[in-house]
Amino acid sequence: MTSHFFWNGDPVAFQPGETIAAALLRAGLADLGQPSNVPGGRVFCGIGACQACVVAVMGAAPVEACLTPAREGLRLGSLPFVGAQHA
Amino acid sequence: MREAPILVVGAGPAGASAAATIAEAGLPVLLIEQRDQFGGAIHRQPAAGNDSHVWRPARHRRNWAGLMARLQACAGRIETRTETIFLGVDSEGRFLFDDRRAACVFARRPRAAIIAVGAVETIRPFPGWELPGVMSAGGAQVLLKETGRPPEGPILVAGSGALLPALAAQLAKAGNPPVAVLERGRPWNAPAALARLALSWGPMSEAAAYATTLATSRVPYRCGAIVTQAEPDGDGLKVGIRVGDQRQVLRVRHLLIHDGIEPNRTGIPLPDPDAAVPVLLAGDGREALGADAAILDGRRAATQVLARLGQATRRMRSDERGLIRARGFQAALTQALHSEPVVPAPETLICRCEGRSYAELAALAPDASAREIRLMGRFGLGACQGRFCGPMIAALRGQPLPAAIPPRWPLRPVSVAALARLTTDETE
Repeated sequence: MTSHFFWNGDPVAFQPGETIAAALLRAGLADLGQPSNVPGGRVFCGIGACQACVVAVMGAAPVEACLTPAREGLRLGSLPFVGAQHA
Repeated sequence: MREAPILVVGAGPAGASAAATIAEAGLPVLLIEQRDQFGGAIHRQPAAGNDSHVWRPARHRRNWAGLMARLQACAGRIETRTETIFLGVDSEGRFLFDDRRAACVFARRPRAAIIAVGAVETIRPFPGWELPGVMSAGGAQVLLKETGRPPEGPILVAGSGALLPALAAQLAKAGNPPVAVLERGRPWNAPAALARLALSWGPMSEAAAYATTLATSRVPYRCGAIVTQAEPDGDGLKVGIRVGDQRQVLRVRHLLIHDGIEPNRTGIPLPDPDAAVPVLLAGDGREALGADAAILDGRRAATQVLARLGQATRRMRSDERGLIRARGFQAALTQALHSEPVVPAPETLICRCEGRSYAELAALAPDASAREIRLMGRFGLGACQGRFCGPMIAALRGQPLPAAIPPRWPLRPVSVAALARLTTDETE
């Protein structure tokens, strides 16, 4: 059975142990930002230093996609989209 | 009460070496790692459940296996916390950590601390370096090691340093050789430095293996070549390059850039071996000397801590000699690949986090203080806290950008909810 999380509402498959960043890139999702957000988000340094791949997590704090293992059913989105829904 | 541990932050080669040395001496260790597995960038392991291994030199595989065996042999004295981010030291002298799995911050008072958080890549900015599809070469290499899978579509590797051919060879072996490697330096113009490099057997045999792979995969390695700009082009990028006086445009899907590394010191406590709670730095986070030296440097820091805590230790003269050799090698490499800084085009982003351009940097007074650069220019105020624009500004202005003293926590963004769940080990 393939595992999935959701990126801006769309399912993204991931393999066990893989980071959110690895799964997003395999799905061809390089631009992690909002169209109105320039410069947008993207995976860059891979070690949590540049903060460019920080993604919003529904119900939890934003995380660096490059550091965080993907987990089943996570609802993720571009910053500040999910956060804005709390307002 | 339990004996307070020696804190080691970072489970790459330096941290693993330091932790093993201290635990072998019989003292308890608290080993903190931001990822779910040990290894750091250089010894990054394939993700659990992925058995495709990226080719890497036998020396590195042996070194890491040796360190892991040492850690396992004294695992009873090592408390490991993975997926845990070091946040810094608060005004009470407590070391703070963000446990990402538990979504809670915890505080500890160690007897001593060894910080081994590795290096950060430096980037020479050009218009478009901030675009999706542009990744640091080190970031791409870490991903490749985890997934065993190269990115799909045409790849260009550019910048400067030994990482470029290494990554290009690994991409080729994984099935997607880059269209080219562009090295901005002109090493053939520095024969004396090249001759010194040739005396280092380990790295040079590694370099020869990479060169062979690049040759058989027909990947051109061009010196004196730079990326002048990148712009979006459908799903990929249109990359302007310059080789000597010739200009060319390449269409690629991925542009992997890297111009060297610097110790990751942003927000990191200042080293103070004589403080009541001694703080030492180790590995590339102290001085960027590479993976082999990091193992020696971790042991050197651990030995220093043990001596300070009254444990009989033997000073390892061979470690000191190894560090001196690594320093000589890195100096020769820097000299061989040296190139003069290029003034970026005005629209070039310098601070990605805050979207600040070179024109906005140049508009500041030439003698602007670090405080003015931050507060008036808004450089280094973003989420990365200047880890990337700081070295760029230092290179462009010819002087380092002084950091906040004492360093301020948190050195990574932390959620207020996690802070509100703070737990401490204090019994008083």
